[in-house]
Amino acid sequence: MLNNAPDAAHYPVDPTRSDLVEEFRRSPKGPHSRELQMLLHRMRWESPGGRYVLYAVEPGKRWMLGKLPGKCNAPVELMHNRVYDSPAAAEWDVFKLRWEALTGQALTEPAIGN
Amino acid sequence: MRLGGIDTTSVLGYAWPPVVEPGGRVAFHLSSATLKQVDLSLVRVRCGDPDAAGPGLKAVPIASAIDGKRAVRHQPLRPGSCAVIADRPVLRGIDSFSVGAFIWPTLPGVAAQTILARWRDGAGWRFGLDAGGHLELAICDGKAVVVARTSQPALGREWLFVCGSYDARTGTLSVRQVSLDPQAGRDRTASGTASAAPGLRWIADAPLMIAAQAIGEANFDGKIDRPRLCRGAIDAAAMRALCEAINPPAGDADLIAAWDFSIDIPGQTVRDRSANRLHGELVQIPARGVTGANWDGTANDWRALPAHYGAIHFCSDDMQDAGWSPDFTLDIPADLRGGYYALRMTAQPADGDPVDSYVGFFVRTPRTAPKAKLAIIVPLATYLAYANGALRMDQVHAESMLEGLLVLSRDDLYLQVHREVGLSTYDTHADGSGWRVSSAKRPILNMRPRCNTFNYGNDTHLIDWLEEKGIDYDVVSDEDLHRDGLAALSPYRCVMTLSHPEYYSREMWDAIDAYQRSGGRHMYLGGNGFYWRIAFHRDLPGVIEVRRDVTGVRTWEGEAGEAHLAFTGESAGLWRSNGRAPQRLVGVGFDAQVFDRSAGYRRMPDGENPRVAWMFAGIAPGEMIGDFGARNGGAAGLEIDRADPELGSPPAMLLVASADRIGYGGMPAPEEFRTFHRGLDGEQNARVRADLVYFPTAKGGGVFSTGSIAWVTALSHNRYDNNVSRLMENVVKRFIDPAPLD
Repeated sequence: MLNNAPDAAHYPVDPTRSDLVEEFRRSPKGPHSRELQMLLHRMRWESPGGRYVLYAVEPGKRWMLGKLPGKCNAPVELMHNRVYDSPAAAEWDVFKLRWEALTGQALTEPAIGN
Repeated sequence: MRLGGIDTTSVLGYAWPPVVEPGGRVAFHLSSATLKQVDLSLVRVRCGDPDAAGPGLKAVPIASAIDGKRAVRHQPLRPGSCAVIADRPVLRGIDSFSVGAFIWPTLPGVAAQTILARWRDGAGWRFGLDAGGHLELAICDGKAVVVARTSQPALGREWLFVCGSYDARTGTLSVRQVSLDPQAGRDRTASGTASAAPGLRWIADAPLMIAAQAIGEANFDGKIDRPRLCRGAIDAAAMRALCEAINPPAGDADLIAAWDFSIDIPGQTVRDRSANRLHGELVQIPARGVTGANWDGTANDWRALPAHYGAIHFCSDDMQDAGWSPDFTLDIPADLRGGYYALRMTAQPADGDPVDSYVGFFVRTPRTAPKAKLAIIVPLATYLAYANGALRMDQVHAESMLEGLLVLSRDDLYLQVHREVGLSTYDTHADGSGWRVSSAKRPILNMRPRCNTFNYGNDTHLIDWLEEKGIDYDVVSDEDLHRDGLAALSPYRCVMTLSHPEYYSREMWDAIDAYQRSGGRHMYLGGNGFYWRIAFHRDLPGVIEVRRDVTGVRTWEGEAGEAHLAFTGESAGLWRSNGRAPQRLVGVGFDAQVFDRSAGYRRMPDGENPRVAWMFAGIAPGEMIGDFGARNGGAAGLEIDRADPELGSPPAMLLVASADRIGYGGMPAPEEFRTFHRGLDGEQNARVRADLVYFPTAKGGGVFSTGSIAWVTALSHNRYDNNVSRLMENVVKRFIDPAPLD
């Protein structure tokens, strides 16, 4: 059987690379540098801290952060206090969550648009 | 439930038939677990995609007899495939008995599963696996259950010979399992016995069931091969001999049933070779034409050696016929235009979000009364193949593929907890095997307005454009193409295949090919078209089969020896692997996925050829075409196709434009490279591209192909004033002009 293994992404994350963090913050949609591509692949494939998703409350207008439960027949966990008016804002929020999960360091960079 | 947004799932349903002619009748089968009443209306779908980046949701009300309030009820779903053998006197007159089969369990140790049973209201006998995966034979006279059980749990995906017996003289109950490959730690050979009351009599009026205890109860996951039922308590060796024999002696008076699942594999009847002829009917279309315990690789096609394909792969979550009672019918007015239609169901529950749910269906143009010069082909096979896809929630690749967070709809939230509606042919069953069959007799969440954008939603961008431009069109569906062949297309001067005509049966392909060769004009307005070879079911309308093998963008890979369709025996997999690369039919064929950003096309030297000057009227020579669009900002994106003379792109073809600057998110299909190496992605690989091509065909016909799913989503850009729209208008105008193309 063909399956995608979440632990197959193993690019090492360097907690000192604040330049990659800034590159992402400035342009969540990319295109990105090679190193940021690899960091993002690690984050997205492994999704440390839980498999984050967005729920389109209003398609194209408003999105809510959620987390897949890791098994079927269990509901998506919706975070009603994390609602965004742009995908970019959501991407940055999730990037921060994953960065902290991977490095143990919380990011203090300003939000998108600041 | 209040989540914010629009509730699209509190009432669901399906229309039968899914494609209907004016003058015909369509029945609506609805269910709601929470609502008691809904407001109904009929809508003509102009655009089903609510995304503000495109035309937006446009569902035009059509006054009809179903307008108004109507009560709805809850109709449960009972997933799980099995075979039902109707009760017969021979089944009641048994004292001692023995059962046997080969099994290949795929999900042992999760829940109790049935191999063979005759059980009703807590009485009878059941031969199967217990919740721990141990073989067991349970009997009950309506009072106490007695169980003989082996000590070793079955291993997943390993063949076992299994048997059991009840001796009515002594009351002895026994079971035995034998591993067919016992080496290297795989041996699960074991036995078990128990003592029950002697002389038990069996219940009347109960069907004999294979792979379930009753419909939707204790279903089996995995393969069952050559099940046998005998009178008398025979030993394991004697039962093994009966199971090994493909055709045990029918004159054996003690042989009650010997099913041979290799007889008429396309059908839905299982045949008993014994003199009792205890044939049964399959429920929920389990996978047939699968390798049996005796399969050794001698043949990979069940037609060549059916005796090696005497197994059926049952799944506890198989769901192809919801079986809901119809709530009401709609007589389709004789003058209703062909098109995408839907039953709209709305409600405003006190404790929840506003409900706006739809049941999609299609009205085709009457076969005997074509009206327009142009017809669109509704890609029903593709809609079925993708019906209720949950893959992106179950596998981890989606976010990397999209280069961004996965965005779920209300439908996705529902599917995550309601797998009983049955998933798509992209998904895997609970036991890890691929979904090979898809049917329209169940709610299909992504074949209706407000659904996820892929396929249906994107296709309605084209409908919206045709309406906006006042272009007359008739409607035929994939199934018409399959069953009627060329006759479905021959009334038309031009036909359009839409954003993603990916799934094609041989009959459908032949119809398009013959149409093109007879002077027809074909506008292929999508990407990844004509990719997988499928079959519609011989007897059951609205049912397709897909088998994925070892190449192509495949979200699961079938078992070895199972790449031939059960419905027809034809080799499945890619058309490219079946000697028909799409390039030969439409000039271009699938090369890559690019879900992160879309691109525009630049004019190629062939685009300046005077033969196609009509195509670019009103478009400046240096203009990028479609460097805009509702899907990631370009007309070339999502899934894209390229021309290749080596794969059959015709010598007369003109490559008029190409989107050949795809970024690193463009990843080639597996069949597009020989060995792994750096530089495969679209940033570095010129073969990751979308080609816009044109070529004339015999008798003044022609083909225009865009090679991109995103193409149609660029049409409404700038209020329909853009060069994709202009180019399309030019092509439609020329393609419905009877003057021969060159």
